[in-house]
Amino acid sequence: MSALYIQALTNNAMKRILFSILLAGPSLLFGQGSQVNTQGIKALGMSGAGSALFVDESSIFYNPGALSKMEGNAVSVGGSAVMYRSAFRETGSADTYHTKFQISPPFSLFTTFGPKESWWKAGLGVYTPFGGAVDWGTEWPGRYELNSLQLRAIYIQPTLSFKLTDQFSVGGGFVYNIGLVDLSRSLPVFFADGSPGQAQLSGTGTGMGFNLGAHYHLDNEVAISLSYRSKVVTKLKDGDAKFTVPTSVAASFPNTTFDAELPLPASFNLGISFPLSPKVDIAVDGTFIGYDVYKSLDFDYKDNTPVLQDTHQPKKYENAFSGKIGINYKTGDHLALRAGGGYVYTPVNGPYVSPETPDNNRIMGSAGFTYNISDKWDITGAYVFQRIQARTVTSATSGLRGAYKTNIHAPGLSLTYKW
Amino acid sequence: MKKSNTEISFFLSLFVSILSVSSCAPDFDDFDQNSSGQSQVDFSKYIAVGNSLTAGFADGGLYLEGQQAAFPNIIAAQLKSVGGGEFMSPFFAEEQSNGSGYIRLKGFVNDLPVTENVTDKLAIRGMSPTQRPLYTKYTNEIQNLGVPGMRLDMAFVAGVGSVYGNSYFERLLTDDKTETETYFNFATTKGHTFFSFWLGNNDVLGYATNGAYHDPNDPTTALTEAGLFANLYTNFIEALTAGERKGVVATIPDVTVVPYFNTVTTARLEAGVSAATQGQFSKIYITTSNGVRMATDEDLFPLTFPADTLGKAVIFGNPATAGYGLIEQNPLHDKFVLDRDEVMEITTHIETLNNTIKSVAENKELALADAHDYLHLVKNGLTLSGIDISASYITGNVFSLDGIHLTPMGNAIMANLFIDAINLKYSTNIPRVDITKYRAVILP
Repeated sequence: MSALYIQALTNNAMKRILFSILLAGPSLLFGQGSQVNTQGIKALGMSGAGSALFVDESSIFYNPGALSKMEGNAVSVGGSAVMYRSAFRETGSADTYHTKFQISPPFSLFTTFGPKESWWKAGLGVYTPFGGAVDWGTEWPGRYELNSLQLRAIYIQPTLSFKLTDQFSVGGGFVYNIGLVDLSRSLPVFFADGSPGQAQLSGTGTGMGFNLGAHYHLDNEVAISLSYRSKVVTKLKDGDAKFTVPTSVAASFPNTTFDAELPLPASFNLGISFPLSPKVDIAVDGTFIGYDVYKSLDFDYKDNTPVLQDTHQPKKYENAFSGKIGINYKTGDHLALRAGGGYVYTPVNGPYVSPETPDNNRIMGSAGFTYNISDKWDITGAYVFQRIQARTVTSATSGLRGAYKTNIHAPGLSLTYKW
Repeated sequence: MKKSNTEISFFLSLFVSILSVSSCAPDFDDFDQNSSGQSQVDFSKYIAVGNSLTAGFADGGLYLEGQQAAFPNIIAAQLKSVGGGEFMSPFFAEEQSNGSGYIRLKGFVNDLPVTENVTDKLAIRGMSPTQRPLYTKYTNEIQNLGVPGMRLDMAFVAGVGSVYGNSYFERLLTDDKTETETYFNFATTKGHTFFSFWLGNNDVLGYATNGAYHDPNDPTTALTEAGLFANLYTNFIEALTAGERKGVVATIPDVTVVPYFNTVTTARLEAGVSAATQGQFSKIYITTSNGVRMATDEDLFPLTFPADTLGKAVIFGNPATAGYGLIEQNPLHDKFVLDRDEVMEITTHIETLNNTIKSVAENKELALADAHDYLHLVKNGLTLSGIDISASYITGNVFSLDGIHLTPMGNAIMANLFIDAINLKYSTNIPRVDITKYRAVILP
């Protein structure tokens, strides 16, 4: 009448089992959630509107077509502190988990070259259109999807712009992209102390694309901007895959390298600006983003084992749209104040929402200023707040059920020198 | 210029103040929570009635880590936010934390797991007259009343708690009670306000794990007859619900959903035999109630099947005949195989008993945790919170190394099944547990 099975179980009979652990595809994304447009601090002050309004060195990013309308030359350096904080609550649970507070610093550098008041202008932009850092840590319900992710895409864009008439100008740039990624997640294999294993993937990739634009304005300063940024497929090659696992399964998780492709979406932007009064301008921008390039994420590991297989993870993004409106108020010769708001539709379908970018439709509001310190020096500041609306999802890949909510705060500052 | 300076300083101060207010992280105010307010169920004294699963038995033994991760203990922790009180368990002391001893994974040889016994820090105080271990007593008031090996039919029998009976029950009784106390009386006199009840598994499993062979000398291998089961089940629940008390009961899982019965398959045995004999033998012969025949993939072998006896002389057949299990003249003994007719017999019997459990639950307005149905889902494979779970041995994450009892993660999953059932029945608001906090099988 002893407890069941003990006798049988202490018999260490040979147990013929094939051992395998399926490693679900590590997910990785340069996507909407990481896209916080802080390239131009002036536009940031109007929530990203102003591609038609601002004709300056940041036009290299917003509309290369407008660049040749600049009279002189300028160089500007800008940076912002994107504070991305997400919360997660598993369905039915009372516990809320937050991403760790950290600041990811997108930066931009724009400089122009060319004769004054000429029919052409050249420029160079170095900026980070996608990027972010999210750290959920190793003690949250989604730990087997993601611990932390840092990613950055640095675009280097030489640009040329021509005036076809006084009112109409066009331009284009060549984009060379360097992508950096560093991701970690827990693995459900357990050490003697009960703690899980971990996978760390990091790598660098490159890609190419282009940026085109046209700008038209009337004498009364109504202006129209059209621009197109191509998709940029970043190819990660020979990234490092490191696995921290118990010794007995180490052979199944060899430290190896991986290849992956990350398509950064194309976008098409239409901007209009018009004066309300001599001191007040309104700018409106609408952007169509071709996120449907992001169909799946595929990882190709160099060394495959029965456990470590190449992965295919569906993403099924849809094309998305954002609308932004801003107001620019020139208080005098030295100070311009601005404010704006916008709405962004998410490209991510519910079952594909993942902790690296717990995306949903988002609203944003912003304020900003430019102060002319002298004829040569400007300082521009802006602050944007975005709220990604709460979204309750069941992940198609992990089965994780819960609600995400995200706030993004991004103050930015840039300094411009003109000559 | 002066005016601009004032403006800009005003603007900058506004800027800074926006920065400082908005640094707070997002939160969920009244997100998704059941708004019914105070529940109508009194969780202040929860007791857990059951067998090894309730006790936290795992890896072939009862030891402290398993006790702490037992599903009732996880539930009790979650009950705290809805009026639950202290929940005491008969934990082994730290210096005797390995309790009865258990098995752990030693490593893999040719991709096959090899286990070893943990024999230090045991809580064995001596041996019974029948040379079975007796454990260090724990006779303080407890609420986790799980007793490994407890069966419904034995819950009403005095003497089961004696040194001749169940050592795990004997451990919980003061010396003056061991001969007289029944488990039924022990469990129904704790002054509880809420209970979980999961008995009945061993009334079938003891028979099943012995290859559906009732050893006349071992009552734990008997199959409890359906009529008796219904009577005893009703009586037990009657006592637990007296005074309108609420609780949750669970159904009996199928034997086919545990790794204990689905790991050593006929195909694996045949492949092993073929390889070892260079193809000279390739079939397994078994004894069934309908005579001797070749094993098919519908016949189940236990995880502990002594594969090294295959092909040897003797064992249970004609001592002169070698080739045990490999030739028709010397088939495997009935108790080493659950043949397809026995599987059918047991499956049908479990269904009958579960119908009793369900109808008692309904009559008494109790919550029903349908472990039977849920483990069928698990058997087919589920992904929960990024973890693949299944009925696979070791890699399925739900079952511990003994192939029957749960890992801490399996216990957390079970706790959620019970919590969901209670919330559904009583419109309560017990928070679910994060299963990723719990480990599955430890690998060396």
